Amino acid sequence: MKSQPKRWNDPILVAAVAPLAIVMLVFFLIPLAMTVLLTFQTTQYYRLHWTWDLKIWTEIFSKPHYWTIMLRTVGMAVICVVISILIAFPTAYALTTRLKTYSAQIQILIIFAFLTDAVLKTFGWILVLDRQGVANWLLSYLGLGPEAMDILFTPTGTMIGMVYNLAVYPMFTIYLSLARIDRDLVLASYDAGASRIRTFFEVTLPLSRPGLYSGAVLVFVLSLGAFLEPKVLGGGTSPLASELIRQSFETRVNWPLGAALTIVLIAIGALTLALAAAFVFRRSPAAAGGQA
Amino acid sequence: MKKGTVEMNKLLNDLNRRSVLKGMGGMGLAAAGASFLGMPRGAQAAESLNYMCWEGYNAPSILEPFQAANNATISIDLITDSAGGFAKLAAGASRDFDLVSSDSPWIQRMGPAGFCRFIDDADFAEQYADFYPQFAAPFEPLQFEGKATGLPTRWGWVGPTVNTKFDTLEAWSSYAPVFDSAYKDKICLLDWGDWPIMPLALYAGVNPYEELDEAALGEVRKVLRAAFKNTRAIVGDLAIAQKGLLDGSFRALIGGGTYCTSSLRLKGHDYIQSIVPEPKDGLKQGIIWMEATGLVDNGKNSAIAADFLKYIVSPEVAKQLAITEATCNLVPNSKAEALFSEEEKKALQMDYMWTAWENSQFHTVAPNIDDMLAIWQEELAAR
Amino acid sequence: MATPIIDASHIIKDYGRVRALHGVSLEVGAGEFVALVGPSGCGKTTLLKILAGFEETTEGRLDIEGKDMRGVPAASRPTRMVFQKLALFPHKTVAQNIGFALKLQKFDKAEIDRRVVAMLELMHLNLDYLDRFPAQLSGGEQQRVALARALVSQPGVLLLDEPMSALDAKLKKSLQAELKKLHRELGTSFVLVTHDLEEAMMLADRICVMRAGRVVQIGTPTQIYYRPANMFVAGFIGETNFLPVDVSGSQDGGLIVGSPLVTGEPAVMEAGNVSEFLGEGNKALLIRPESIGFLKGEPSPGQWMLTGVVDEYFIKGSSTQYRIRVAGLEAPVVMDLPGSFELPAEVGEEVRIGFEPTRTFLLSE
Repeated sequence: MKSQPKRWNDPILVAAVAPLAIVMLVFFLIPLAMTVLLTFQTTQYYRLHWTWDLKIWTEIFSKPHYWTIMLRTVGMAVICVVISILIAFPTAYALTTRLKTYSAQIQILIIFAFLTDAVLKTFGWILVLDRQGVANWLLSYLGLGPEAMDILFTPTGTMIGMVYNLAVYPMFTIYLSLARIDRDLVLASYDAGASRIRTFFEVTLPLSRPGLYSGAVLVFVLSLGAFLEPKVLGGGTSPLASELIRQSFETRVNWPLGAALTIVLIAIGALTLALAAAFVFRRSPAAAGGQA
Repeated sequence: MKKGTVEMNKLLNDLNRRSVLKGMGGMGLAAAGASFLGMPRGAQAAESLNYMCWEGYNAPSILEPFQAANNATISIDLITDSAGGFAKLAAGASRDFDLVSSDSPWIQRMGPAGFCRFIDDADFAEQYADFYPQFAAPFEPLQFEGKATGLPTRWGWVGPTVNTKFDTLEAWSSYAPVFDSAYKDKICLLDWGDWPIMPLALYAGVNPYEELDEAALGEVRKVLRAAFKNTRAIVGDLAIAQKGLLDGSFRALIGGGTYCTSSLRLKGHDYIQSIVPEPKDGLKQGIIWMEATGLVDNGKNSAIAADFLKYIVSPEVAKQLAITEATCNLVPNSKAEALFSEEEKKALQMDYMWTAWENSQFHTVAPNIDDMLAIWQEELAAR
Repeated sequence: MATPIIDASHIIKDYGRVRALHGVSLEVGAGEFVALVGPSGCGKTTLLKILAGFEETTEGRLDIEGKDMRGVPAASRPTRMVFQKLALFPHKTVAQNIGFALKLQKFDKAEIDRRVVAMLELMHLNLDYLDRFPAQLSGGEQQRVALARALVSQPGVLLLDEPMSALDAKLKKSLQAELKKLHRELGTSFVLVTHDLEEAMMLADRICVMRAGRVVQIGTPTQIYYRPANMFVAGFIGETNFLPVDVSGSQDGGLIVGSPLVTGEPAVMEAGNVSEFLGEGNKALLIRPESIGFLKGEPSPGQWMLTGVVDEYFIKGSSTQYRIRVAGLEAPVVMDLPGSFELPAEVGEEVRIGFEPTRTFLLSE
């Protein structure tokens, strides 16, 4: 249980960490550094010119629309995280409790849905959300009138697609966390006099935090990069960051701009995560340590 | 710079490509093994071509006969965005490619960019002889400093795509309905780079193919803003746009034209038509787009690449290129016309093509395109 | 027993089509320390869970503190449980773990703190541990925290589910001593589940031996040890020898027993040396290892003799254990001799061993 403090020059430690460090360096830090470098270059006639220029950064900080899109992206990501968790948690909870008997079968179904190509699934939603789609057909069947719902090609449509494609991640991380909770802890809580609801908030919920947080981070990061859903279901009308970055790289062939927008997105994403982490750990020091 | 991403096709292509790559991996190993075992090198080795192209050019029915006849293997790099494809070449990939089929302005630009393997029109006299007179040598849109940068391979026009079950063609003799509140939430712009911007600028009385001043750019901004206000969706995917047009939830597709029409017409939806609006204030409102195929100067001077260029414009191949899985387009080869069936001719709106030609600008890369794309982004963000 | 604090009668528990308890009855007196003992799967833990309220009974009646417990959830029962794997809340500090029940009862903070500190002192735990998390404590310390957590709400009955099975022998011994002391000081009723009869005998006032969902015997440690109900209970206690015998009749209120395996006259077993649960099945004499020894010459009158070969011996210090293989007996005969410098026999040596049947115990399967 007690571990010796490791020294940095411990050859075994170095050998153990080196592969990961090299992978991180080669596949993450170096590309990131190159992206940063790219932002100081200029393009002319669709060719990169190796200069040192703050032109792009001036442009980014002088045009509010880049920030509109960035903030909208982060906002959508946060909403997507909240909705995904609200869907994923009860589902995962049911899989570990009431539906435990069928848990394996249900999980296989979920995995099948998850493994189906996101492009196909997202296109499938068009058939549901369209004005003449399945959802409206159902609503009119229920007597709510024709075309009761008009959410294809709106940000709501985008959100539905994002949640649909991403909620499965927290579903599994939370499921794993919940499944790992010793049943005796719940009994111990009952034994101490806690009701089912109290036990949920005192024991089950706090102990599912690792899954909750990792799921939330996954959804957040993947939402920031959401590309397909705004394009297909959002009708391109309220573009998100990845589409902006794609346009900059591909259509405008302005690589420095695309690179700078990428850096901005990464920075905003990292900042949001850092703030969320600070908030979470300030509220519950227990989560910070001790349960390793 | 057009067509955006045809997601479904991309997916299918990816799948095919993946399985092809797998197969190739195996073949590569076998080949390596064979060479180690002392097979005479080069004697039987096929020449390989690296080909960057849009969808359609990569059809097996086009590539396979050529590969078989010339003992060549062709590796495909599919373009999803013409500008992006060009940028890739400009960034150094020109050393790897032998051939490019892309939007004609980008083939022409290989000239000034310095990696074009110019063609001698005389060598291609036989091919030019088959072309409609509109494409006769020297074909101006593909010239650079008096030299030809490539041959035209496919073309069509950009104008409103209309479902005549819901609208008359007369209603679309101008782009006015795009801004008409009666059409609110019924317009679809195609998210295909500069394609949707150009017609709207023309409607605003700005010729986007000329150098624009601040005032003109301001007009473009105004017309985009007004269009966005009335638009239901900006769609990059052809299938989505076509579905909406068929069921009437989109009354017109703007920025696509024949590229999104012909395949529907071929499938029997002959009530779908792409037209070119009447000239407005002396400004032609239609746009002719064209794809061309050019050779890349990568130092190899491959004879087979030049043969492929002749092959791709030949009547039989041109006919196949015109009718592909996803889209149907016109080809410059007049001899190909005889090979089309009546249905195909009708699908391609051949009876209308020269009218469209007469009333259209020829699409090139506009001098101020980056400003206009930036405006597009800004206005979209503000929505 | 005046009014038992726990009165369980004819408890039946079915899990689906499997019957885990076949009509178990048990009374626990106020302040009594009862141990439930048996091999794994005997139903002892199920019974404990039924007492705690984690499981419903299928049939039978359970009263705790005079109240019918049917439909009373665990949260409302006057019982507290110490779990086998302790089940300390990993995300709560020691203080939060111990004070949890008090917090639920809405005691004010100062009162909770006072009681938590009192529990720590009772358990001889360092007050610095209050803000630590369970994972930062040693196994023995966690054990004490678990006890403190259960005792803090002053339960009528403390239920312990093999709480010491995971500890090393030395720690176990010291905690067992503390538990016994704690029980004496607090006067709370304890119900301990264990598979270790030695532990049960050390700690409990009464022992309930269970087998396959039934109670085999309930009695004080001495009753269980000296007057086991049957071969199962006797075998469970530790190393013993069983010599199959036949009962050929009775004489003066005793039973006449004999065995073809031994040299010696049939003996008369007095009622005090015969199990009160003696059944119709196979019968045997229970011979403790310490009541059997080597014979130098012929057996004296009243002694029975067996011959065999030394299979193995173990020098244990204060005693030496021999295992003698005897023809006709499945297991080797185990005998504990007082330790001596000279070994009485070597491995492989043919030996005679003897014992007095009247000082053994007659029981059945």
